[in-house]
Amino acid sequence: MAERIEINPVTRIEGHAKISIFVDDAGKVQTAQFHIVEFRGFEKFCEGRPFYEMPGLMSRICGICPVSHILSSAKAGDAILGVNVPPAAEKQRRLMNYAQVLQSHALSFFHLSSPDFLLGMDSDPKNRNIFGVAALDEDFARRGIRIRQFGQRVIEVLGGKRIHPSWGVPGGVLKQLAVAERDELLAWIPEASKTMEIAIGRFKSMLDDFQEEIRHVGNFPSLYMGTVNEDGYMDFYDGRLRLADAEGNIVADGLKPWRYETFIAEASEEWSYMKFPYYKAMGYPTGMYRVGPLARCNVVHATGTALADKELREFRERRWVVRNESFLFHLARLIEMVHSVERMEELLTDPDILDEHIRGRADVNNNVGIGCTEAPRGTLFHHYEVDDNGLILKANLLIATAQNNLAMNKTIEQTAQHFVNPNKLSEGMLNRVEAAIRCYDPCLSCSTHAIGQMPLDIELIGPDGSQLDRIVRD
Amino acid sequence: MTIVIAVGNTLRRDDGVAHRVLEMLAPLPVGTTAKAVHQLTPELADYIKDCDRVLIIDADIDATEPCLQKMDAADAPPRSSLGHVVPAAEVISLARLLYGFTGEAWVCRLPVVDLDHGDVLTPEIHSAAKAAAVQIRGWLLQS
Repeated sequence: MAERIEINPVTRIEGHAKISIFVDDAGKVQTAQFHIVEFRGFEKFCEGRPFYEMPGLMSRICGICPVSHILSSAKAGDAILGVNVPPAAEKQRRLMNYAQVLQSHALSFFHLSSPDFLLGMDSDPKNRNIFGVAALDEDFARRGIRIRQFGQRVIEVLGGKRIHPSWGVPGGVLKQLAVAERDELLAWIPEASKTMEIAIGRFKSMLDDFQEEIRHVGNFPSLYMGTVNEDGYMDFYDGRLRLADAEGNIVADGLKPWRYETFIAEASEEWSYMKFPYYKAMGYPTGMYRVGPLARCNVVHATGTALADKELREFRERRWVVRNESFLFHLARLIEMVHSVERMEELLTDPDILDEHIRGRADVNNNVGIGCTEAPRGTLFHHYEVDDNGLILKANLLIATAQNNLAMNKTIEQTAQHFVNPNKLSEGMLNRVEAAIRCYDPCLSCSTHAIGQMPLDIELIGPDGSQLDRIVRD
Repeated sequence: MTIVIAVGNTLRRDDGVAHRVLEMLAPLPVGTTAKAVHQLTPELADYIKDCDRVLIIDADIDATEPCLQKMDAADAPPRSSLGHVVPAAEVISLARLLYGFTGEAWVCRLPVVDLDHGDVLTPEIHSAAKAAAVQIRGWLLQS
């Protein structure tokens, strides 16, 4: 008799989700689904609010990546105003975005995923956490805490507080950076650089131990999307979008982010609150694409900084230009952290960043504004439509985690098919399925912001696995 | 040196009670520093590592009245995954494990009634905050 194995809740991710693994009559894994069981509703309840409030409102979507929402929202506001953001403000925004990438990636790698790497996928789950890492290697654990602290300190200095800073506004930012603040942040750079050298070296030295995971955890062809600047280098703040295929061929280039609706569409499935975006030209679900660290490393010509480019070349030389293995999201994440530290040093030593002119002002000049940045987890779009008084008529948020939804589902299906033996379940098998999701570092708080028809499917399962009751609303 | 850390979201009514208590404690005695945070994070382990005493004030849905108590150093470190939520005991455990923190750790749990949107405490929790502030002031003045 066919049965279902449920992992609920999935641990060490941001938010709440469950995974269902469906087993066929022959006792083998047939398929798997990643269910998002959170529901929020930011797109709806911001209607009627003034657009200049949006960066502050949108930052509340998430306590891990508020900066990403502030930046995309502020950029959408820039477009509504129709102003050029002053250079100092743009540089502050770029610095803040790198700090966000650094602290978010640090949480993902050091706190959430490194226990799997350092202690092993099959190790005692009671110790498979940062305390287990600390018991094994105190210095590594301390460095993980400190590198995240650096990112958060940059956010605190620029924005006034670490979580939900009130700082980014349409037209610029609210606070000039002082010399003493700049100097304090610069003093962190040597330690951050050293930590990244240690972390990426440590992870690369472990890859040989995870060859089975590299081969069977989400290793499949897909499209990849990320932002590049005019020279094809990695750019987290501004540029054009590029799509590449699994062999590294550029499928589409120079895509204008504010025309995203012409090349991205969103499907929905009854079993998840999260949308399923896809590349329109290829249809659903063939147009599955991945975003985030692996995608960015796959689409860029180079990162544009010396140390990160050295790592990117090695990343690519291990096989071919494009890496399709989801497990390598972790390595791509580390490369981006190296890159972020390098770029932060460049920005902090640029005298322009101290300039007092930090905000461009105007009235409503456009009724539509679309802002796009690269968030830690991938490309993030904020799309607002306003009336002539600047009140929000409609908002649409296209979140990175949602853009990886199709790929995450395929990843857990492939992982479960290879690692899960339904006749002899072990905790390590299920941990690999969870670890497959953690490759993408999904932020479910962000990706369940929408409101609309709420599917509701509640199953009551008895101790023997039989269905006792079910309530369905569609 | 004593460090007081107030935890909570001041836009969710009683969840911000610890911040209000901290405001009521001003001015702080000499040798005491304070920090108001939205949530506890692992980085605070580094922040508290050199202090003699740390007090973490937080709202607690299970508390019925302000409760100031010492955390037992012999407690086994908790084992959560350090995602969105980091319990006070984990910050203390990390400080002991990674930074050699040897000071006293205290926690003050405060009751809550309403966690809906808003920046004003409910009257009963405002009273509880005042009582907690008196209790904590006495604790701060103990050598």
